[in-house]
Amino acid sequence: MKTATDHDFSSPRADELFDQHRYQTYLRTDRLFGRLMIVQWVAGIAAAVFIAPRTWVGQTSHVHIHVWGAIFIGAAISAFPLWMIRTAPGSAVTRYVVAAAQMLMSALLIDLTGGRIETHFHVFGSLVILSFYRDWRVLVPATIVVGLDHFIRGVYWPYSVYGVLTASPWRSLEHAGWVVFEDIFLVISCLRSVREMRSIANRTAALEASEQNFRQIFEEAPIGMAVVGLDEHFNRTNAAFREMIGYSEEELAERTPLDVTYPGDLALSKELVQALLNGAARSCIEKRYVRKNGEVLWATRTGCVIRDETGQPQHFLIMVEDISDRKAAEEALSENKLELEAALKENELIMDNSLDVICTVDEGGRFLTINAACIQLWGYTPDELIGRPYIDMVHPEDRAKTEEVAQNIRLSGHVTDFVNRYVRKDGAIVDVLWAATWSEADKKHFCVAHDMTERARIEKALREAKEEADRANRAKSEFLSRMSHELRTPLNAILGFGQLLEKQSPTETHRTRVRHIIVAGRHLLDLINEILDISRIEAGRLQLSLEPVCVADAIREAVELMRPLATERETKLSAPARPDEDIYVMADRQRFKQVLLNLLTNAVKYTPNEGEVTISFETAGDKNTRIVITDTGPGIPSEKMSRLFTPFDRLGAEQSKVEGTGLGLALSQRLLHAMHGSIGVDSTPGQGSTFWVELPCAKSPLECIASRNGNAAGQTHISGGERTILYIEDNLSNLTLVEQILADQPQVTLITAMQGRLALDLARQHVPDLILLDLHLPDMPGWEVLSELQRDDVTRDIPVVIISADATSRQIQRLRAAGARAYLTKPIDVGEFFRVIEATGVRNGNGEFAAGRSENTRLLQS
Amino acid sequence: MHTRTKYILVTSFFAVAWVASIAGGFAVFVRYDSKPGAVGAVPRNWPDLRLERAQNRPTLVMVVHPRCPCTRASIGELAQIMARQQGKLCAYVLFIKPSKSDTDWDETPLWRSAKKIPGVTVLSDVDEMAANRLGAETSGHTFLFAADGRLLFSGGITESRGHAGDNAGGSAILSLVNNNRADRNQTFVFGCALADRPVPEQPSKRPQ
Repeated sequence: MKTATDHDFSSPRADELFDQHRYQTYLRTDRLFGRLMIVQWVAGIAAAVFIAPRTWVGQTSHVHIHVWGAIFIGAAISAFPLWMIRTAPGSAVTRYVVAAAQMLMSALLIDLTGGRIETHFHVFGSLVILSFYRDWRVLVPATIVVGLDHFIRGVYWPYSVYGVLTASPWRSLEHAGWVVFEDIFLVISCLRSVREMRSIANRTAALEASEQNFRQIFEEAPIGMAVVGLDEHFNRTNAAFREMIGYSEEELAERTPLDVTYPGDLALSKELVQALLNGAARSCIEKRYVRKNGEVLWATRTGCVIRDETGQPQHFLIMVEDISDRKAAEEALSENKLELEAALKENELIMDNSLDVICTVDEGGRFLTINAACIQLWGYTPDELIGRPYIDMVHPEDRAKTEEVAQNIRLSGHVTDFVNRYVRKDGAIVDVLWAATWSEADKKHFCVAHDMTERARIEKALREAKEEADRANRAKSEFLSRMSHELRTPLNAILGFGQLLEKQSPTETHRTRVRHIIVAGRHLLDLINEILDISRIEAGRLQLSLEPVCVADAIREAVELMRPLATERETKLSAPARPDEDIYVMADRQRFKQVLLNLLTNAVKYTPNEGEVTISFETAGDKNTRIVITDTGPGIPSEKMSRLFTPFDRLGAEQSKVEGTGLGLALSQRLLHAMHGSIGVDSTPGQGSTFWVELPCAKSPLECIASRNGNAAGQTHISGGERTILYIEDNLSNLTLVEQILADQPQVTLITAMQGRLALDLARQHVPDLILLDLHLPDMPGWEVLSELQRDDVTRDIPVVIISADATSRQIQRLRAAGARAYLTKPIDVGEFFRVIEATGVRNGNGEFAAGRSENTRLLQS
Repeated sequence: MHTRTKYILVTSFFAVAWVASIAGGFAVFVRYDSKPGAVGAVPRNWPDLRLERAQNRPTLVMVVHPRCPCTRASIGELAQIMARQQGKLCAYVLFIKPSKSDTDWDETPLWRSAKKIPGVTVLSDVDEMAANRLGAETSGHTFLFAADGRLLFSGGITESRGHAGDNAGGSAILSLVNNNRADRNQTFVFGCALADRPVPEQPSKRPQ
């Protein structure tokens, strides 16, 4: 069986190390022999001087030839090997020369000492020293020289050489045998030394490789590693450690581990270092380091002491692993755990305090978890509920649909707003609203339910209350309608006959009395109208026709209506001399004027004689227009401001002579809100009040038409022959607009009317081909005008096209039933306008209108 | 010329010179060490030496120049002989001493060494009187007289100048003492000249 030997681990590096070591041995031994040669030379001279300094002839003496021989022959023997050692150190020739010279030196010394047998030991000693070369070959020339020397000496002094008188061949053999005997052992020793050198080289190479591997592993280790000396300074650090700490190797060499330790961990670190020195095998702690940039680094530090073979500590080895991420994760986990615990606690509290049922149900429909509300809802104890199939408690009539929903949850994943009934433990029936989710992963239902019993009862009560309120409201409306009719009818007679009586009264006294009746009647009529308006607004039944209204026109008309009253009260009523005609607001024209008249009436009424009322307007921002009415009246105390818009609250004015219903401002506020506007007041007692109204700005009708026609290519003229169109509209801007639209249509004759009754008269008089009717007229509603036209045989067949801003489907239905042929929405689309006129205003050959009811209906439907 | 070639040539020359010089040096050494000293007219019987010759055993007389370094080997060899032949031999070592010499002329390590040898009597030979009568001219010249005064041996007891160790002279003395016969009774004497006198012609062949 082959076993591993040192040779098996041979490598080029081992060969290199072996050669280096052997060469170093040669050099070292060369130097040894160099010194030895000189020493031997000097020693030889000394021996010669000591033993035989002079030779005598009687009393006369001379220097002994041995002295000269020691000097010169010794020098000759030493010179050449010294030359070789100097010029060719380590070479084989040098070694051989040295070997020969050394043995010659032995011969010289033997000679100088008179052939003493002891001096022969120099030969054996020289052979031993030559074996320092660990090259057995050097023994060959040395042995040859010894042999030759003894051979020659044997020739001359056989007795002295071999030490006995009788020169025997065996004596020579014995002498040679001793030398060979020593040579054999020296050769063995050399060979063994060479093997040991080889072995050492192999081990050194292996150690170097191991060291290299260790260094590489150390340097490239993914964890930080450092070797720390007993002086606690860093001796060596690897890349991972340096990167971790942020210092360079040079910087760390000047520091100790404690220098980079977080101050709070210093005591622990010192304690563990001491424990290691006291014999602990290793220590492992989690500690913090301070990086060069000041950041704190959490790390696991494992340390151990490296000791020599005697157990003395040599240095520390520490391994550092960055656990900052883990620490952060742990902290986050800890925080999450706390949050989770808090959330669980909160959930528990929520579940315990929830009035709604929260529970989980398994695949078989059995309760898994329940909250307190479950006990409250079903009346069972937790032990009775947990594990109980919920279907057992479902009302028998609802079980089928409940099971169907439960099956659907598995498919859809959830259900909401499912209501079923349950039978409580006490037999009572409860309505329950469910929301449930099915978790396929957990194989369970997560359910939330609400006891709908009370809610259902309340809803039922509310429903009944609403129905009652609706009935009451309808009754009120009916009452108001009836009252309106019933009050208006006698008032009509009162006011009509009152006016006749005024004209026919013979005396001023009678006329005054009649005038009081008329004034009271008118006041009562205003009161009724305002109450009706407020009632409509609050009922949401007030119909408004929002359209662009020229503010200057509206103010002008209102001021003209108020001027007689102002004159009567000697109040100066001022309006803008040159108002901006291009400012429009989106409003119902009649209601806007009504608001302005209310405010102006109040201002005039409450301003003392010779006072002043001013009305003006301006744009307020980009979207609104503000109309401001300022008076020089007594002003309103701040404490009364909050009651200013309360119906029937006249703020104490009922005690004065100023007449009023207390409804004007309340009605104005509601009208403005309905028109998306607002109203406000600033007042200083004793100086007067300033009321302002804001309404959304609007484009003028012409701008609307221009923008529409610019964007859409529609019909631009009306075909066919001449025709007459009656346009009933109280808004002058709209009238002007239609006049301009039809200006380019010479076959069309346009007749206009701004009041309903006038329009009816004109329709009977001219029998136009088409009537364009606005629904909001000052004297009567548009639908009443339509009804009158339908009732009159002359005008019944005239097609009527409604032009209005409020086009609800309900209103269209009502107008269709009333006989309207078509409906146009403000602002007017010119193409549509022409198309509708062309379609509706055409007579047949008999002068009758071609389109009948059916056409009428079609247009309205379109 | 290439430096290495030049080096090889120089080294080769150096090596040849080295071998030659060493060989020459050793040759001079051998020649010097092998050159025997002068020998005077050696008497055949015990001369009048003013010494008491042993009557029952042989008497050995060695004439020594007290400062001859080569004679140290002869004294050493004498010690060997005396150690081997204790009681069988009467021995004298005569250190020549010129009458005009200093008092410490012969008080040398050699004298002290000789005195330490058991059975050896060390005496000064003033103005070489005994040496002349014995015909000794080279330090270390040793004479062995039988109990009846007959000269048994004359010569040196080293193989060359200053060379210790077994030698033919010593062996002959021991043989004569023990066996009354030896294969030789003369040897060359290697040492310093006892007196400054012309060196007579030396035999080229070793005495038998």
